[in-house]
Amino acid sequence: MDMLDDLITLLPELILVALVLTIITVDLFLSRADKWLLTPLTVAGLVLAGAACVVVWDVNETVYAGFYVVDDLSVFFKAATILIGIISVLFAPSYLLVRRIPLGEFHMILVTALLGMFVLASSSDMITLFLGLELMTMPSYLLTGLHKTDRYSNEGGLKYFLLGSFASAIMLFGISWLYGITGSTNIAEIGAALEGRMSGALLVAIGFLLVGGTFKIAAVPFHYWTPDAYQGAPTPITGFLSVGPKLGAFALLIRVFAEALAPLRADWLGIFLVLTVLTMTIGNVVALVQVNVKRMLAYSSIAHTGYIMAGLAAYANAPNDETAAQGIESVLFYVLGYAVMNIAAFAVVGMLQRDTRRFGGLNSFAGLASRSPGRAAAMGILMLSLTGIPPTVGFFAKLYVLLAAVDAGLAWLAVILVLNAAMAAFYYLRVVVYMYMRDPEADPAPIDTSPFGSVALGLSVAGVIILGLFPGAVLALVEVSAASLF
Amino acid sequence: MDGVPVLSLVVFTPIIGVLLLLVVPGTNHRAIRWMALLAALTSLVFSLLLLGYDAGGSEFQFREDLPWIEAFGMRYTLGVDGLSMVLVLLTTVLSVVSIFYSWEPIQKRVKEYYIALLVLMTGMLGVFVALDLFLFYVFWEISLFPMYVIIGVWGGPRRIYATVKFVIYTLVGSLLMLVAILAVAIAHAASGQPFTFGYEALRGFAYADTLQAFAFVAFFLAFAIKVPMWPFHTWLPDAHVEAPTAGSIILAGVMLKLGGYGFLRFSLPLLPDAAVSFAPIIIGLALVAIIYGGLVAMVQPDLKKLVAFSSVSHMGFVMLGAFVFNEQGLQGAIYQMISHGVTTGALFLLVGIIYEQTHDRLIAHIGGLNTRVPRYAAMFGLFTFASIGLPGLSGFIGEFLVVLGAFRYNGFVAAGAMIVVIISAVYMLWMFQRVFFTVPSDWMRRFWPALRDINRNEWIALAPLIVLVVALGVYPAPVLEVIAAPVDRIMEAVNGAGLTGFGPLW
Repeated sequence: MDMLDDLITLLPELILVALVLTIITVDLFLSRADKWLLTPLTVAGLVLAGAACVVVWDVNETVYAGFYVVDDLSVFFKAATILIGIISVLFAPSYLLVRRIPLGEFHMILVTALLGMFVLASSSDMITLFLGLELMTMPSYLLTGLHKTDRYSNEGGLKYFLLGSFASAIMLFGISWLYGITGSTNIAEIGAALEGRMSGALLVAIGFLLVGGTFKIAAVPFHYWTPDAYQGAPTPITGFLSVGPKLGAFALLIRVFAEALAPLRADWLGIFLVLTVLTMTIGNVVALVQVNVKRMLAYSSIAHTGYIMAGLAAYANAPNDETAAQGIESVLFYVLGYAVMNIAAFAVVGMLQRDTRRFGGLNSFAGLASRSPGRAAAMGILMLSLTGIPPTVGFFAKLYVLLAAVDAGLAWLAVILVLNAAMAAFYYLRVVVYMYMRDPEADPAPIDTSPFGSVALGLSVAGVIILGLFPGAVLALVEVSAASLF
Repeated sequence: MDGVPVLSLVVFTPIIGVLLLLVVPGTNHRAIRWMALLAALTSLVFSLLLLGYDAGGSEFQFREDLPWIEAFGMRYTLGVDGLSMVLVLLTTVLSVVSIFYSWEPIQKRVKEYYIALLVLMTGMLGVFVALDLFLFYVFWEISLFPMYVIIGVWGGPRRIYATVKFVIYTLVGSLLMLVAILAVAIAHAASGQPFTFGYEALRGFAYADTLQAFAFVAFFLAFAIKVPMWPFHTWLPDAHVEAPTAGSIILAGVMLKLGGYGFLRFSLPLLPDAAVSFAPIIIGLALVAIIYGGLVAMVQPDLKKLVAFSSVSHMGFVMLGAFVFNEQGLQGAIYQMISHGVTTGALFLLVGIIYEQTHDRLIAHIGGLNTRVPRYAAMFGLFTFASIGLPGLSGFIGEFLVVLGAFRYNGFVAAGAMIVVIISAVYMLWMFQRVFFTVPSDWMRRFWPALRDINRNEWIALAPLIVLVVALGVYPAPVLEVIAAPVDRIMEAVNGAGLTGFGPLW
């Protein structure tokens, strides 16, 4: 009976596993012309998994001898993961088809990565955590190199793989130190054992974990793989990579730093703050000089990582639980909002790459407003949202982080953050300038108008605005989710 | 009229217009123009209902208060006092004027243009009526981007440089202000009060000195950039020169007032101690702005740039009046804002009329217009004199009151401000003489046969401004009456300022 109960709490995961198997099987029987059917199939499966998330909401149980936890925090991450999955799946097919990248593999690998993110979010043991991490990142390497006839895609995939495995190893080494010090791999037990302790050995463990963790979220100075991996990957996949694994990595950071290492937060805060400031500033400065929109978005995603880290810093610096919870809440909200707007922004870049010799340069955006008013308006709204202008979700996400930071006594960090946001306005608005204030190129490239992509874009933009105007419902969810840590 | 959300109607009617415009085909310019005008006019009509404001009644009238984002204590709170009321009316009038004026000059991407103008209108109106600091911030940002698009798409040759500069400048200030708003609300909540961004709740709370100082600086940057105060003014001439005429009218007429309004509504009542402590510095900057703006205006070769720099000088008067903290000064500051909105709006409109025909604004090129277009010359003269501050026209009242207030503060400050009344006469009259009375240049003669006087549409656009500039100059009492109560409240706040341990900072 217990076994069955445990299985029900794993319903979303089970559905994803079934979905992976179904995709592999169905793919075998589909003719080339019918491969597009995989997309609605995957979306349906993901929607089903989303419904399962509703079932496990408020369960709050630790299952499998403390290896796996289904708390509201994990369910929130899973729901966000599914959202990311659905949008990514809708955007990708037409881009991939033009480049003859097999759809079956794409869907299967993507869903596997989502499964990894599920496991990561739900891990209550360092072993599970590492398993989830690898289950998420292995498919990510594959996705980056999915365009195997393109050398940039190969280069990106290989770089990502080499550096990523290295970081995973460092992470694992940190976990082993932690095990050596506390005698446990269970996150809650580690947290209890570390209460009031500090030693040189612990510092080493924190160092390794921090390096591994910040590599996965692509924080400065461990961000060097990002631009190449992001630029090389097929554009809609870049959109997924820039938010999916990042969401997973933030789940990991929360589990490791806000749960296992929570008692030591005063000790890791200092270095974390330095990384936060460096990440947002360097990401923005380098993004300023990019003339390729895809690469610009890659660097700006580093800056956004910095903003999200500020929420985590607010958690660590908070004087009381209420303020600390606010820090975690801001991270959750930001990750969700950022996911929607960033995938959509990359997708628009992808739509302008219908011609396979286009690489997402600023010029391909010139005069888009007159060529495709709908897409230009959508991209304009997404750029404003990424800049953080009301009434968009991007604004509200930044506001949440700012609020948490100021509340936690990090007003100076908030000031650095807004100055960065103003700097970011410059390069985001440059896209708007090209779209609205310049004339189209003499020989403009065709634009992708696949129905799936248009639907997903419409939904994303609507989401960006609605969440910006009325974030109340999501705020309530975020609050309950963060509460499971305290 | 109870229960009718007048303010929401005023603020959001333009947005309804935008939604309607979205379904009109982009090629039907006529329908688009009428639709936009109708939306703006409806908003204007609703705003006239605010004239029912009872000057002796409660502070904020026409209040609306709805929960918005309850988790953060953000509410949809609107309300007007005398100060907001006059600025709302200024906004609706000038918006209608610029929409009407744009009838002929704007021929490309007409639909987008009117959408931008209407969104801009909503943003500006929202700023003036929001009584929740967060809501205020949202409207503040909403008003920024339509102007960015208006300058960037329909502007002159260097429009992209100008518009990006405009946005980045303003954004830096406003984002810092956002942090200050959060800090103020959090400090207020830390004392055990419920977490709120409500203006009336946050006002009158004794914030710690350091918080006041930092928050004041952040608010100051946001508002000073918008006003713009020297040395944060450098975006203004660029923006004005490149903006299309209607953009300039709105920019000078209303957007600069957002900054002045911010000081009077937020900086002074929320952070009175810091305001009092920083006042000498700000008065100094205001004096520099007044004199520097005037001197630079004198040497401008470009008509629009001249008017732009005269704005720097005139808005310096507003800042001076606001920070001498006496009744005359504050009243003068508010009056000067309204008057400047009307006269400068009209001047930009008039410059636009000649620019549409010659596509040049260099004073050296134009000349002798008096003989060819006498009615145009007469109107230009009227607003030139209003701008100088000729008694009987609106400019005089504001400047006079500010100087009076400055005298009560310090004789030398007043004397400095007075000098500029002379400087302004020099640059305006000299400009007027060169443009209208000299012998027309050879360049100008090429346009001579085609040159036309003010046409019917332009008269209609100008008419309300002419009426206002005379009425405000001859009979200022109604305006002074409605702004008396807000002025008293600001005085109360700053005079009650404790200066505990904060005064010696300077």
